[in-house]
Amino acid sequence: MSTIVSTFFALFKRELKTAMRTRVYYLITVGVIGLLLALTAGGGGAATGYVPTVVDLLLPLEVLVPVLAIAIGYRSVVSDLERGELAVLKTYDVPSSVYVFAIYAGRAVVLSVILGSGLLATLLLVSFSSGPDTSIFATHTGLDSPLLFARFIVLTLVFALALLAIVLLMSVAAQSTLTAIALAVGAVVLVVVGGDAAIILGLTDGWIADADLLNALAIAPNSAYRGAVFETVIAVTAASESGYGSPITSVAGLFAWTIFSLISATLILHRRTV
Amino acid sequence: MSKQQSTNTRPAATSQEAVLRATDLTKQYSELTVLDSIDLTVHAGSVTALIGPNGTGKTTLLRLLLGHLEPTAGNVEYAGPAVERPIGYLPQQPAFRPHFTVEETISFYASLLETPTDTKELLTQVDLYDVRNRPVEALSGGMTRLLGIAQSVVGNPPAVIFDEPASGLDPTMGTKAFEITAQLAERGTAVIVSSHDLALVERYADTVILLHDKQIAAQGPPQQLCQTHSVADLWEVYDAVTATETPQTNTEVTQ
Repeated sequence: MSTIVSTFFALFKRELKTAMRTRVYYLITVGVIGLLLALTAGGGGAATGYVPTVVDLLLPLEVLVPVLAIAIGYRSVVSDLERGELAVLKTYDVPSSVYVFAIYAGRAVVLSVILGSGLLATLLLVSFSSGPDTSIFATHTGLDSPLLFARFIVLTLVFALALLAIVLLMSVAAQSTLTAIALAVGAVVLVVVGGDAAIILGLTDGWIADADLLNALAIAPNSAYRGAVFETVIAVTAASESGYGSPITSVAGLFAWTIFSLISATLILHRRTV
Repeated sequence: MSKQQSTNTRPAATSQEAVLRATDLTKQYSELTVLDSIDLTVHAGSVTALIGPNGTGKTTLLRLLLGHLEPTAGNVEYAGPAVERPIGYLPQQPAFRPHFTVEETISFYASLLETPTDTKELLTQVDLYDVRNRPVEALSGGMTRLLGIAQSVVGNPPAVIFDEPASGLDPTMGTKAFEITAQLAERGTAVIVSSHDLALVERYADTVILLHDKQIAAQGPPQQLCQTHSVADLWEVYDAVTATETPQTNTEVTQ
């Protein structure tokens, strides 16, 4: 195994072990499961099916996911910086890129497990409360199905991982844990609220043409996530409605946020530790 | 800063091989010059101590030697053998990721190198083997410093840099930290240490570099510095040199 790969896995494993030994993550997991089950049961979607549950959860998740990304990621790098650990790791010739991607991968697993547990619990609740309508054998529209919910889970995780990368970037740029949380909240609010606001402003002011709307929606993480969920999950069960977003462009937009944030984090970290 | 008489009982440096060489090293932050035209060579098998008042650039010089800061002018050359980890480092306030034991912490650092590390031997050297299963957050300040020293020598780097290893420690722990630096030097490692404890420096250092007013104000073995300044101990050398507003001469004593 090459040094870079073994270094990556050493850092990645340490990140996972840290998470497994941090009690608050277990509490967050229980809280997320409880919250999503309560929203599902309370919204009434569980009794109706998977897609109505997605409709119930979409807006709450647009708030919950950024909060979770901040909770899991804001200390990811700044704690090591404050401890002076990065100066020590530099003497082991750990490249900034390997460090950033390993920390991100570790935190991504943690976030995926926490969020995935909540969504899988929701899937189970819906499957016990109401299955897909099996009286219909064939239709030109799609059937409500657990596969659509699985698609929703995947899109939610892609959205969460994009926000986690933005939060990690703020953690690299911060001077202290306190500034890290302030920067993370500021950046996420800017991206989440500012993204949607910019699109609305662009449409009303005319600098976004109607024809470019689907591509513009892919630029802001929240609208990209919302558009992709509407297009690939909710619209599937509707007879003729579509055009809420471009799924490929939306997912590409979320990946672009992830990669841009991680590369920026690497460059800033390299600058800070040289 | 302690003022007490002490005698260097260490054997003379065993090697004159240069491991680190700084030439005309200058560091400025905007208009503020922190270090100005520093030349120094660190040899294998010796303890080189950096002393000087607070704010004279000791930590800056150490970070320049480590390559963690870019000099404004001049350069630092690593002249030691080609190894996986050329320079080890003990920060001024070593801290470790919580939730891990002493042994797990050292094993983690060892896993970053291909060179195998005997963690048992390493922890025994710093008297931490008996507490190897203790979480790092449950260690005392002195033990944390010793763990930092153990970390700094993972992979047997030819040079190690200790930033104030005795700071904040009780006399026993402080002495222990300096004893380890001497043991490392006896095994051929080039040790660079910054400290305010002049008694320990006088006892354990082969070469003392006194930084004052951005430059090396005095340099040489402790006893020779005392002879040159006709004083009894290193504290008086320090007092004599730093009392001057600006160093007029750069006293260098050849070993």
